[in-house]
Amino acid sequence: MADSPSPDSEPTTRTLLRRVLDTADVRSPRRRRSARNAIQRSVFETTSSRSLGSQTKTSVRRRSHGARSIGRLAHVQASAYLEKDTPRTLLKNILLTAPESSIMMPNPVVKLVPLSQVVQSYRRESSQGSLELQLPELDPPTTLGPGLPTSSRKKQRLRLSVFQQEVNQGLPLSQGEVPNFPYASFLFTRSLNLTFTTPLQPQSVRRPGLARRPPTRRAVDVGALLQDLQDNSVASAPPGDSLRIPVATQPTNIVLEDTQPFSQPLVSSFPSVHHSLPHPPHTGVEDAERTLDRRTWNSGLELQDHMSRTDYATTSSPISELQPPLPEVTEAAGSEEAVRVKELEGSSEDEDTSGEPASPELATSTPELLQLPPPPGVGVLPSEPLEPVPARLPSRPRAAGPRPYRDPYRTGLSHYVKLFSFHAKMPMEKKAVEMVERCLDKYFQNLCNDLEVFAAHAGRKTVKPEDLELLLRRQGLVTDEVSMHVLVEQHLPMEYRQLLIPCAFSGNSVFPAH
Amino acid sequence: MARSATVSQRTKIKRTAPRGFLRRVFKRYKPHLRLEARGDLLVHLSCLLFIRRLAEESRTNAYENKCSIINKDHVVDAAKVILKKSRG
Repeated sequence: MADSPSPDSEPTTRTLLRRVLDTADVRSPRRRRSARNAIQRSVFETTSSRSLGSQTKTSVRRRSHGARSIGRLAHVQASAYLEKDTPRTLLKNILLTAPESSIMMPNPVVKLVPLSQVVQSYRRESSQGSLELQLPELDPPTTLGPGLPTSSRKKQRLRLSVFQQEVNQGLPLSQGEVPNFPYASFLFTRSLNLTFTTPLQPQSVRRPGLARRPPTRRAVDVGALLQDLQDNSVASAPPGDSLRIPVATQPTNIVLEDTQPFSQPLVSSFPSVHHSLPHPPHTGVEDAERTLDRRTWNSGLELQDHMSRTDYATTSSPISELQPPLPEVTEAAGSEEAVRVKELEGSSEDEDTSGEPASPELATSTPELLQLPPPPGVGVLPSEPLEPVPARLPSRPRAAGPRPYRDPYRTGLSHYVKLFSFHAKMPMEKKAVEMVERCLDKYFQNLCNDLEVFAAHAGRKTVKPEDLELLLRRQGLVTDEVSMHVLVEQHLPMEYRQLLIPCAFSGNSVFPAH
Repeated sequence: MARSATVSQRTKIKRTAPRGFLRRVFKRYKPHLRLEARGDLLVHLSCLLFIRRLAEESRTNAYENKCSIINKDHVVDAAKVILKKSRG
């Protein structure tokens, strides 16, 4: 109805909608009602006048026609008023539900510009059937928006599809409300923005590396460990070289690897460990180990997805392209796992004493492999940044020894023992501390017994603060001069003071109530 | 306010009462009794006062024996006296 305000003048849809609604408010309920009353009154008047005055066909016709027209108008208005699915009510709901758009954001402004163009084109068409046709037109303008990432574009497409479904369900949009449609769609999309959370699954499908991240890393780590072990067992590795070389090789490998967060450390650890070997292992040993490698690799990978194997192959292939000796070394590294398993089964390793508790589980689960990078300390300094990364994966917690179990009763008493040592102001023996704990325990027992006696004396089964006060009195702490409130104020923090001492508040109320 | 208003930087004294611990202890010893909400705060108060008296007594004992460290014997003697006092 209100076409006077051009949508291009105002940037926000909210203001536009407001305008529309305000202009549409010409037909306000009050006025409607008044119109209806006026109509009714006029009808009564006509009938009364008819009854009174002489009736002529023309006058009757006119009046009836007028009454009919008025009635139709009233009916239309009434129907419009009663109808729930008016675009007006829809827009009102949109305004209520849609978030307040900040004009600061460039995106909505950008989106509005193409939408306004679409509005004008839509107005020209002015047909409900073209709703579906409009949607593909809406797509390019939205995608043309600058700085829109691919994911948001897909989001928009999805949002529009949802809106399309809703449209197909049969939202009646009168032609008079045509210009509001694109804004409604925009607002729908915006409101859908809130509710329509893009699931992470499609993203993970699109980026397979994120999903396959764990298995590849584990396999490599194992290989690196075995490599290290073999290196330590076979040849002596000068720590200087191992320190230098891995650092040098790290950046190159990072560059060549694709930008997946967890594959980076994989690659970086990979050559670092390998370069820590000054003497590459025996070829004969390698061949023997290769077969073992495949077995261990397969055993490890079987636990993961099928895709993981392909991913590992892809990651391993660029590595092989980089440095020819790497594939051999990787296989050797992978074989080291089997070797390591054997070794650990047989004898204990010097370095991996901490990893030993995990060794029996190595053959069973690959997550154990994550623990292997930390233990070998020789020439695996770059693997240190890997430690927080492996920790992110679901790995079994590395037990740094049996946690000293403390009796919860003792831990609770320690609170008071600390207070004792504070008040004593002198250093204490350990035995003295234990003695204090025992005294406290004894005191608790006495306390409970006394409270039970007092409560039974009062004929109660619940220990009340009065019993506590009596106890303190008998202990000699509360006297006629020193009341319990004084003690409470002296020794307890204010929060407890408020709970214990009744205080008068405004409104003739006392808290806590006695 | 009280003597323990100033605390040395090394030690950090927690002033909150271990209310859960106190309730559990009471339940352990007297499962057929019930303790009120504010009752355990007063129990905490009585424990504080007991510890205070015990510490003072053991400190006095250590001074009398001219020791700079509180021994187990000092604590035992102090406990005998104070427990008798707080018998109720």
